[in-house]
Amino acid sequence: MGPYDSAISTGSTTSSPSSAAKPSEIDGLLAGAGYKVRSTVLHQVAQRLERLETLMVNAPSEISQLASDVLHCNPSDIASWVDSMLFEFNPPVSIPSDLSDFSDLTYIDSVVSPAINQTVCNNSWLTVVTAMKEDSGIRLVHMMMTCAESVQRGDLPLAGSLIEEMQTLLTRVNTGCGIGKVARYFIDALSRRVFTPQALCATGWSNENEILYHHFYEACPYLKFAHFTANQAILEAFDGHDCVHIVDFNLMHGLQWSALIQALALRPGGPPLLRLTVIGPPSPDGRDSLREIGLRLAELARSVNVRFAFRGVAASRLEDVKPWMLQVSPKEAVAINSIMQLHRLLGSGPTRVSAIETVLGWIRSLNPKIVTVVEQEANHNQSKFLDRFTEALYYYSTMFDSLEACSLQPEKAVAEIYIQREICNVLCCEGSARVERHEPLAKWRNRLGAAGFRPLNPNHLFIHCP
Amino acid sequence: MAGSNEVNLSESKRVVPLNTWILISNFKLAYNLLRRPDGTFNRHLAEFLDRKVPANANPVEGVFSFDVIIDRSTSLLSRIYRPATGEEALPSIMELEKPVTGDIVPVILFFHGGSFAHSSANSAIYDTLCRRLVGICKAVVVSVNYRRAPENPYPCAYDDGWAALKWVNSRPWLKSEEDSKVHIYMVGDSSGGNIVHNVAVKAVESGIEVLGNILLNPMFGGQERTESEKRLDGKYFVTIQDRDWYWRAFLPEGEDRDHAACNPFGPNGKSLVGMKFPKSLVVVAGLDLVQDWQLAYVEGLKKAGQEVKHLYLDKATIGFYLLPNNDHFYTVMDEISNFVSSNC
Repeated sequence: MGPYDSAISTGSTTSSPSSAAKPSEIDGLLAGAGYKVRSTVLHQVAQRLERLETLMVNAPSEISQLASDVLHCNPSDIASWVDSMLFEFNPPVSIPSDLSDFSDLTYIDSVVSPAINQTVCNNSWLTVVTAMKEDSGIRLVHMMMTCAESVQRGDLPLAGSLIEEMQTLLTRVNTGCGIGKVARYFIDALSRRVFTPQALCATGWSNENEILYHHFYEACPYLKFAHFTANQAILEAFDGHDCVHIVDFNLMHGLQWSALIQALALRPGGPPLLRLTVIGPPSPDGRDSLREIGLRLAELARSVNVRFAFRGVAASRLEDVKPWMLQVSPKEAVAINSIMQLHRLLGSGPTRVSAIETVLGWIRSLNPKIVTVVEQEANHNQSKFLDRFTEALYYYSTMFDSLEACSLQPEKAVAEIYIQREICNVLCCEGSARVERHEPLAKWRNRLGAAGFRPLNPNHLFIHCP
Repeated sequence: MAGSNEVNLSESKRVVPLNTWILISNFKLAYNLLRRPDGTFNRHLAEFLDRKVPANANPVEGVFSFDVIIDRSTSLLSRIYRPATGEEALPSIMELEKPVTGDIVPVILFFHGGSFAHSSANSAIYDTLCRRLVGICKAVVVSVNYRRAPENPYPCAYDDGWAALKWVNSRPWLKSEEDSKVHIYMVGDSSGGNIVHNVAVKAVESGIEVLGNILLNPMFGGQERTESEKRLDGKYFVTIQDRDWYWRAFLPEGEDRDHAACNPFGPNGKSLVGMKFPKSLVVVAGLDLVQDWQLAYVEGLKKAGQEVKHLYLDKATIGFYLLPNNDHFYTVMDEISNFVSSNC
């Protein structure tokens, strides 16, 4: 007779899990009872429950206050719930005589004692012990900000120590969802920047990128919505024209155009002759993926009786493309389509003519009927690292939050890798390697206006995501 | 008092698996937040914290469930659990109430626990337990979502139990083929066990046959402080103080714990001598502080000449039957299975 190992999971459950943590990590029996607790943190959760009980026993008058005032977040996640309860109790701040009992609480609070940061020598810590002052998630955010600030100041040893602290703290936090998940990725990015800066940032397009992009497309509604809205604008602009030509800056899987081809097929009065010219990087492995997708689109067009011609233009950089390469005819109605490509042009050096101006210039020279631009509505191109870090933290937290609504696997997991790549590029890369230079809508509006483009109507021309 | 509390905490941790300890401690602490000293209850927060699951007409591990309204006037709902026969792809409304097939099909009327104030039929822990009972007993399980205290004190829970019993007894689709009668067993834990007893009394008085009562850690009490209450107070998740609070919430204003609802064989209890009371299986956890009252209940049944099997589980705490990670769980499930099938 004795307690069985909790690894046996026989609890049947009909509740739909919202957490993204792998089922094997979560205690199966507690899951059947409606609670999500990772098996590896059972002991810590038990410890914290004990601590909470002690606090409750010692402060019975605070209990009803606790019940009515505190925000109870996600009661399924016992670890977070008990942490938020502990946070609500403000025990007296005193350094206990037996520090070992509080060894899991050590962290450095830069807000409270900035002077200490300055005097800390490179490899040692002054640990300020405050009992249960902050929720683990909030603590992580503070530490990340402190770390980012050290990176900005160039204090890499301090940043490195903070990263190690945070990685330890991460083991006691649910990194499957919420702030834990976001923190995991951001701490990873900080770690790469601090410890392995020489590792290449993946900048070139590759087959792998297409797969990631495709899963991201499937997992979130943003790209689908962007394609749909861009297509609507293009259809409207092409109304009444018999020869139309689309120049696309990044074909990826071509799903935007299969939708458009079908829409054109159903156009009252019949479809136009459609030419699609796609600018893409030269294939690294000799496989002409552009051509393959082009053939598929041609097959689709043929099946719905749309006259169709496809050309791929190989170019490593958009600013190297010359208008004559696109073979635009004056009789055609031209549409230029850029899905998350223009921001990559913002990283030119000060001595060259800005790449974005070059590209906008040749776009203008083609006299297009419409230019559809999709960009991330975010401010990730600031030169100061801490500013970029802060912005990215907010932006990608929202992105991860919205991804929680997706239950498709492996789309969701791979979409996360896609997002992770972006995060790493924003935070770890500099100079020409950093291509994810997202800028807010207002800046794009100004830039396009300066290049001679008139906003058709805010909903059509500027589509911002998320 | 911090010192003695630490001793208590580690004691309870030694006798249950870690995940069980976390589950029950989590309940304990959350419930502390809900009981107000003035006797009111933070129902809003309680409902928010309670982990609930929807019914699922698609079979999961051989069991499907659906909710029914038994009495609109009191909003009395029940959740019905049935074994999937494997034929239906997606049960339509008609098939949900398809007649049971089999010479004898036990129908278990289940009353969840929660000390009359907590939990619901759709609480995850009870949904899981009811699904298990379907498999173990090859039964249809009807889990009653009775009204709870303190908003709905005595006798609301009993009235709801009685309404549910009448409803079950009159469903044509629950009749066993052998004798065209509904073969009813009542099962309940904690306050649910108390409800089982009281509904059984009403059933006997009204002529509805109940084949058996199963009481798991039933909630009984009395004015006197028994030895087990004093010995185990605060040691294994439960305190005398919280028991008192729940009785005050359930019992009528001005009544003490010797009221018949709380103490059925006490000074105000009703005699069951000569009544055709259902046979009973009473499971008592050896670390439950109210075990003396539960044992008194068993004795009371025996003295009234009623058939009762008493199962005493030495090192079991409250809630041991919620997770299948201890010997007591399996012992009890076997006993329940035998109890329900022994009439066949």
